[in-house]
Amino acid sequence: MKRIDALRVITELGADLPVVATCAATSRELAAVEDRDNHLYLLDSMGLTTSVGTGLALACDGTAVSHVITIDGDGSLLMNLGALATGGYLAPAPMLVVLLDNGVYASTGNIPTQAGRIDLGAVAAACGLNVVATDTADGLRTELATMLGAPGPHLLHVRIERGNEPGTPLLLDDPVVLGHRFRSWLTARLEGGAR
Amino acid sequence: MSLPERRRAGVVAALREMECDFIAYVPSNTIADIITGLEKDGPTTFPVSREEEAVGIIGALPLAGKFGAIVMQDNGFGNALTALTTFAVAYHLPLLIVANTRGGLGEYNSMIHAISENVPAMLGASGIPVFSLDRRTGPEDWKGTVAEAGKHARMTHRPVVVLMEFFETAEEAA
Repeated sequence: MKRIDALRVITELGADLPVVATCAATSRELAAVEDRDNHLYLLDSMGLTTSVGTGLALACDGTAVSHVITIDGDGSLLMNLGALATGGYLAPAPMLVVLLDNGVYASTGNIPTQAGRIDLGAVAAACGLNVVATDTADGLRTELATMLGAPGPHLLHVRIERGNEPGTPLLLDDPVVLGHRFRSWLTARLEGGAR
Repeated sequence: MSLPERRRAGVVAALREMECDFIAYVPSNTIADIITGLEKDGPTTFPVSREEEAVGIIGALPLAGKFGAIVMQDNGFGNALTALTTFAVAYHLPLLIVANTRGGLGEYNSMIHAISENVPAMLGASGIPVFSLDRRTGPEDWKGTVAEAGKHARMTHRPVVVLMEFFETAEEAA
């Protein structure tokens, strides 16, 4: 499965939920699949995605927003592996990380990460997250739907192919505009009423 | 209660009264009383493994209409700088950081000066406002400055830092 195929499934199931995407090619490809108000693109915050998702999950806990989908990569997560420890420690119910693991820094020349030898799903499980692994689009659709039906914290470990989708446009929007758009969407949902 | 204890209590009171939703910390012996004070009676307060993690978690709160603070030591700003600039500054996300200082007068660790003495210049060069507290003012000023720094972060939609120097002269400590 290519990354963009995984992002199509996530976009399909996460249409009504906040979705945070890690930097570079992942954010660009997500925006290319569909650029929506519920997407937060982290344009250059290396390693910060799962932490940002944890903060949003804390803020959404006990509200009408049931889950926050965080799309991280193996290279990005390895830059801030402590994020899994904190996520497991705080264990906000809306936390749902989709880890797209291709074993390389695909955005920077397919340089290998440690994930080629380390099972990041096992690390997340040791931190107390509910972990399920898959490597197909159908498996991703089934497992993501299951996780969205139950409180987290979850981590869906998705093995994907190396490489980026050719011809994907750069994301050149001002981060302030992207953040404002996402905030407006999310706060309207939160004001919709607590569970 | 000693003067440093009253200053710490003033910081705790300011953080409580500004209605933070969450506070993340990376510990330091000098500010342990601030952390335990917040854990005892304050907003939800929790540890993180490194300072950039705190910037990610607390920086995300305004995107959900909430607000938070970070309690840390100033030698962690090196860890936090990329997160502060590419996330909190770039996306205009308000957050308050209160940090005790290590470099400078009274510091016993010869190595820590190399980062801590440069923190104000480093933050200034990154466009992050810094307000400093030290032995020359009392607990009410410490409390008032932290409270106003929280307002400043919200008003300017940016991260704001308060640096707290706990050094006292021998006469003051007596």
